[in-house]
Amino acid sequence: MRSFIAMVVANLKMTIRNKQALFWNLAFPAIFILMFGAVFSNTGLNQFTVGIAGDESHFRTAVTDAMTDSEIFDVNQGTTDQEMDALKNDDRDAVLVFPAEGSDQPVEMYTSESGGPNGQIAVGTIRSVVMEVAGQESGITIDQQQITTIGATYIDWFIPGILGMSLMNSGIIGIATAFVSFREKGILRRIKVTPFALWKFILARIVAALVLSLVTSGILIGLGWVVWDLTIRGNPLLIVGSLIAVSMSMLAIGYAVAAVSRNTETAASYANLITFPMMFLSGVFFPLGSMPNWLQPLINIMPLKYGVNALREPMLNGKGIDAIWQDLLILAVIFVVCMAFAIRYFKWDATTR
Amino acid sequence: MTLSTPASTTDPRPAALAAPIIEIQGLVKRYKDFTAVKGIDLDVRTGEIFGILGPNGAGKTTTLEMIEGLRTPDEGTIRVAGLDAVADNDKVRSIIGVQLQSTALFPYLSARELVELFAAFYEVSNPAERTGELLKLVNLEEKAGSRIEELSGGQQQRLSIALALVNSPKITFLDEPTTGLDPQARRNLWQTILDVRAEGTTVVLTTHYMEEAEVLCDRIAVMDSGRVIACDTPEGLIRALPQDAMVSATIASGDPATLSEADITAIPGVTQTTITRAAVPPTISAQTSDVQSTLVGLLQLAEQRNLTLGELTSTRASLEDVFLSLTGRSYEHQDDSPSENAETDGKKKRRGRRG
Repeated sequence: MRSFIAMVVANLKMTIRNKQALFWNLAFPAIFILMFGAVFSNTGLNQFTVGIAGDESHFRTAVTDAMTDSEIFDVNQGTTDQEMDALKNDDRDAVLVFPAEGSDQPVEMYTSESGGPNGQIAVGTIRSVVMEVAGQESGITIDQQQITTIGATYIDWFIPGILGMSLMNSGIIGIATAFVSFREKGILRRIKVTPFALWKFILARIVAALVLSLVTSGILIGLGWVVWDLTIRGNPLLIVGSLIAVSMSMLAIGYAVAAVSRNTETAASYANLITFPMMFLSGVFFPLGSMPNWLQPLINIMPLKYGVNALREPMLNGKGIDAIWQDLLILAVIFVVCMAFAIRYFKWDATTR
Repeated sequence: MTLSTPASTTDPRPAALAAPIIEIQGLVKRYKDFTAVKGIDLDVRTGEIFGILGPNGAGKTTTLEMIEGLRTPDEGTIRVAGLDAVADNDKVRSIIGVQLQSTALFPYLSARELVELFAAFYEVSNPAERTGELLKLVNLEEKAGSRIEELSGGQQQRLSIALALVNSPKITFLDEPTTGLDPQARRNLWQTILDVRAEGTTVVLTTHYMEEAEVLCDRIAVMDSGRVIACDTPEGLIRALPQDAMVSATIASGDPATLSEADITAIPGVTQTTITRAAVPPTISAQTSDVQSTLVGLLQLAEQRNLTLGELTSTRASLEDVFLSLTGRSYEHQDDSPSENAETDGKKKRRGRRG
């Protein structure tokens, strides 16, 4: 146990003292948070296209009038079917469906799953208008379940994605290059002639990487909170669980890359080949719904897509485990498959003998 | 060879017939395209510095790595301190210390941190104290806080040796410990190795430097093309040669044409001779089995022929002559890049650092 702890500590020191790794894992995502936050917080709110449908009522009229008076809403009215179709075609940011006059049914609000920042912010803004009008009317309730997001900002949407990107870089690029360079320098063989077991060596690296991932994520979240007033809505324990799951799946991919790379250069190019498309096709920067249809099959095989979702649902929308268990399961499968692959093709030696 | 042997003054070499600590029989290692080790038998005795000498590609490193458990032999047995090197590898690993050909040090750690990490691997009971001792032994106390990247090649090699001693091993294996070092760093490292042995550790090292083997080792196994072609003390190897010295002289004045090879060969003890008349000044060199008679005879001959000899020297036969005599090939002086220059004799085609 003492040897294991010593190896974890040594790994922590090696990673922290590696300035290049520190840049990619911490400074690079921090720059994104500052830069994108600045760009989007200054543009303010976009105009939201809202569809209004359902039965006529005084409440519906009051909400429609309030929105029409406001500069930020582009109000459309139609049948429920028409408006829902428009939403599906991304022609609406949100659709409100009103119940009949005097009904005790709630107002239902629909947003596109792929709405991205605009949709999320739309939800918050629309809700505040509806609540304001509802305050003047009597006997009106709003379905709180349907209106899930409360005043989300772009940064609330963006930071979970950036956390995913940071975990991907430290996991895949960090592990693959470090492990291959250990092999290249003969360090793995050096370990092999000591009583310290290989599985302990690999596990120590994983534990150290997890500790650093959580610390890095904490720093990035802190930065978002201090500078851009980031709001986190979900259960902190679930979010920590998601961070660990994302980190472990990315580490496992890193080990798999290390297993098939002959030297540090090939490890770095394989790792970049994998992480680069993932950075853009996993919903880190752009909502996946805004991607063309022909890209969707490719998007669905990006491991980080599930990682970003597992982080964003609880952080942005306050969702529970029921909303992300499938993502967590996929990440667990990725971990198991990649580690099995890495162990199968593990090499002590830089040469193939 | 004019170098004095530090071993002869600082510590007495162990009794010639101490108990063997490593016993190797019929060891064979094959790779896809060739056989690196072709059936060798060796004994290493407790407390000695045992050298495996040979050109690159001779099979030195492969042999060492089979003893350490890094490679599995195809045939033969290896017993290390009574344990089977293959079956009891776990136990063997805890009683040996290893320095690999590449320095294999974790980056970004200080010398002290690295030694303490390895002390933890072996569950050494007093890691901080042991680390201090070792850094002192390898003369790196002042560099204890320096990162690996800040150490010179020689300092890194010494640190690797410290790591190979962390567990106070019964045997320590050093694979080409001085390759790539400048002459001063090499001599410092020799002293460190002698100090290690003085502490009671058996040392097994490989080298392709003849001089190093001669200075450091109690016994030497000469390897060539996967076989051990001789194994003895350095003195024993040289004594077995037909000649034991080389006598040479320059002709400072007088006509070298008056001197023939036959004249020199007629001198007692001379086995072989060359006269380089075209050189400035002309030189005579002769292999001899009897230095004294040859020197006297040569001086008398010069007197008779009215020649004045300058720079008269006698050089004891070296391991280089041993290698020449055993293989019929001269021992090319290899440079420090082990992977690129293994094929200079044109007979072997090999790749990589198989040692």
